[in-house]
Amino acid sequence: MNYQQLAKKIVQRALKRGAKQAEAFLQVGRSADVRVRDGEIEDLTQATSKGVGIRVFVKQRQGFVWTSDFEPGALDALVDRAIAIAQMSAPNPLNGLPDARDLGRFPDVGELFDPRVAGLPPDWKIKAAIEMEKVVRAHDARIKTIESVGAGESVSEVYLASSAGVTGSYEGTSVYLYASPVATDGTQLQTSYWYDARRFFEDLASPEEVAKKAAARAVRLLGAKKVKSQKVPVVFDPSMAASFVASVAGAANGDLVYKKSTFLASKLGERIAPAHVSIVDDGLRKRGLGTSPFDGEGVPTRRTPLVENGVLKAFLYDAFTARKAKTKTTGNAARGYRSLPAIGVNNLVLEPGTRAPEAIIREIPNGLYVTAMLGHGANVVTGEYSRGANGLWIENGELKQPVQEITVAGNLTDMLQQLDAVGSDLTFHGSTGAPTIRFRELTVSGE
Amino acid sequence: MIPVPLCERLLSAAMARGADFAEVYAERTDFTAVTLEEDKVKSAQNGVSQGVGVRVISGARVGYAYSDDLDEEELLRAATTAAFIANARGSERAFNVARAPLPSFYRLDQHLSTVDVARKRDLVVRANKAARAFDKRVKQVTASYADSTRRILVANTEGRLAEDTQDLCRISTMVVAEGKKGERRTGSYGGGGRVAFTHFDTFTPELVAREAARQAVAGLGAADAQAGQQTVVLAPGWSGILLHEAVGHGLEADFIRKGTSLFAGKLGEKVASDLVTVIDDGTFANARGSLNVDDEGNPAQFKVLIERGELKGYMYDSLNAKLMGQRSTGSGRRESFQHLPLPRMTNTYLAPGEDTPEDILRSVDKGVYCANFGGGQVDITNGNFVFAVSEAYEIKKGRLGRPLKGVTLIGVGPEALKKVTRVGNDPRPDPGMGTCGKDGQSVPVGVGLPTVRIDDMTVGGTKVGGKR
Repeated sequence: MNYQQLAKKIVQRALKRGAKQAEAFLQVGRSADVRVRDGEIEDLTQATSKGVGIRVFVKQRQGFVWTSDFEPGALDALVDRAIAIAQMSAPNPLNGLPDARDLGRFPDVGELFDPRVAGLPPDWKIKAAIEMEKVVRAHDARIKTIESVGAGESVSEVYLASSAGVTGSYEGTSVYLYASPVATDGTQLQTSYWYDARRFFEDLASPEEVAKKAAARAVRLLGAKKVKSQKVPVVFDPSMAASFVASVAGAANGDLVYKKSTFLASKLGERIAPAHVSIVDDGLRKRGLGTSPFDGEGVPTRRTPLVENGVLKAFLYDAFTARKAKTKTTGNAARGYRSLPAIGVNNLVLEPGTRAPEAIIREIPNGLYVTAMLGHGANVVTGEYSRGANGLWIENGELKQPVQEITVAGNLTDMLQQLDAVGSDLTFHGSTGAPTIRFRELTVSGE
Repeated sequence: MIPVPLCERLLSAAMARGADFAEVYAERTDFTAVTLEEDKVKSAQNGVSQGVGVRVISGARVGYAYSDDLDEEELLRAATTAAFIANARGSERAFNVARAPLPSFYRLDQHLSTVDVARKRDLVVRANKAARAFDKRVKQVTASYADSTRRILVANTEGRLAEDTQDLCRISTMVVAEGKKGERRTGSYGGGGRVAFTHFDTFTPELVAREAARQAVAGLGAADAQAGQQTVVLAPGWSGILLHEAVGHGLEADFIRKGTSLFAGKLGEKVASDLVTVIDDGTFANARGSLNVDDEGNPAQFKVLIERGELKGYMYDSLNAKLMGQRSTGSGRRESFQHLPLPRMTNTYLAPGEDTPEDILRSVDKGVYCANFGGGQVDITNGNFVFAVSEAYEIKKGRLGRPLKGVTLIGVGPEALKKVTRVGNDPRPDPGMGTCGKDGQSVPVGVGLPTVRIDDMTVGGTKVGGKR
């Protein structure tokens, strides 16, 4: 089937049936995933999928429908349904597809599709996963079982057509390995999760590397204890730093800014962090998992510095919110075919500093090194941050006693100001990248 | 959906390489949603998801393939793909399936997908109006309504054929209130279940909106919570997510079989205080987590997991049950045809005790009253669980004091349950707003709890020191 043609036909039908504007966002993909246990396949899943989301505007009212059923009759009926259901929403002069001035040539984002990933033989993932399980179990006698060890790949295509004049498509691949071993010392069980996901096979970590990292992270938590409640310097490893940066980027959502529902709302142009902190949403990053030539509304993607040398530089917008806030979209309309566009990041990066992570830890006489967190814990409206944490206690600059059943709490406004060290060890977890970071002082709750 | 003879052909194809078991799962779900923000109905939407998944089991190996294309040719390809994991010699066997009678815990006169969207829209409009009228400090209101009508068919090589229609709906309201010096607090509330649309005649959008607004306004001027160990009292109802996180997940059979849960091998052991009896009940009438049959075609059950502190049983799907020599407890659930079934909770609650809620509060000299909760999460391996308390008050000499902000509770499941020292006589199910995530799959669940006192819980806060 020619999906680009299909997307265009859907738009044409909607216009013919009375829509002022229409858009079809179509996704097609295939994926395969395997998990292993005891040297055998535990489960092997293979799938093909497709779907289309259809957005229409009728008299400034928005209607939205989606389906995975591409039978021509069903699609026609659904387009009519979109137009009918639009009557249920309120007219809003700000509704509509992106303005002509926001559309245009798509940037050159390089290759997103790796033929090697698309052509991987079915048994590569079985072999890779079996190897990972072997390495995990051989790493330490205290690893007695595994939660899951697996590998997989996917190929996806996106097609967009809209009455604003957008016609576009791209095809991308992804390939990944993951391992979650369980270690026990007879009294306690501890687990960890480590993975690597890339667009290109040659960028992917080796099964051995992923397995070793996962095993080491589980074993070193054995014997974890609670600590006394106290205020101490706290270090987040790159994976936890990535989740912290994602919370900050969530607060830079232009819609929340407009509604004054984020602690960053009034701080544009202000210094919100020390000068060594720079955060960028880089939609153009070469081979990035979050890279694409256009966003969910067909607006060309770009690189948007959010925080530059500690100063808050920008918020993220889609077309509707930008119109509301009297600014321009930043090409951050994120979506799948089942949802309306909503503001999201592409590739989010906390730029690395120059200091080795060991040097950052060595300066701490008494503090906490966090390697895993629990709970959602960040409220971007109030800035409150409180999450369960696992990790290692730092004594005289060295990682020592493992700790658990504690929380780390602060306020995002203060936490940003307290970011007194940024490591050189930039690590990507999916589409978010961050190095080791240190907070001068946070509250640790325990006994 | 798909005709029974086609199911039988797919089963034969799935068994072509000599597997032990094969299953066809077909699903069609119609979704409707309406959202309102900034005083305007932003969008109304309809969605259709349909597809078929074929699962093949050979020993402990599972093959799964799914397709959203319902052509016979595509489905046969999926069956052949799923069969790949088996490598014994196949046979040309035919499989026949037949319907078994099913219970009915949620029979609706009218499926939600056929209710006029205008009536659904009216709910969010009314909620917005009521939330704004509640207090002039209410600055932002987001209201949404969502429903789904899900039809499933399960056919397997054991001859089972089960079909069910599962309606589900929920209204939700989120409110931001603004106090002095730009202080902002949020409140949220909602509910629904496998209920007819007329449910909202009594569980009105006004009731939902006022409760969300009340929470947001009540939090204005809240003090920072003291960090460290304290006695906590949980309000009845939605607080049941503590049970869900602290013990529920750790009793799911996949974690038990793999030995990754700290509850593995502890059947018959004391894992909680004598006051604790935990039940998972998939048969609760019209509740959000209820099922006539699970997603493997097994009837839902009433299961006692912990009785007076003693671990009595786990929750099984059919694969883990078979591998462990047990029977399914009707706990095999999946988000959609795009997922493999996993053992999951349905409606999980704590049985009532004997204390009145007033006596429980009066018994605490100093502590924290947890009135409402945000989300929670558990690490089933080390048992650590955490959840955010969205509405909390200090308790002083048996009475409620100032509101507290930024409260998080953290504990280790069995340890926390051993410290349950009072259980109220006021059992209450949550209003029907819970969604549980596991391995990337979301399913609707119910929770419930009477008023409960737990001693020495670790309270995460930002304030350290001072008198305890």
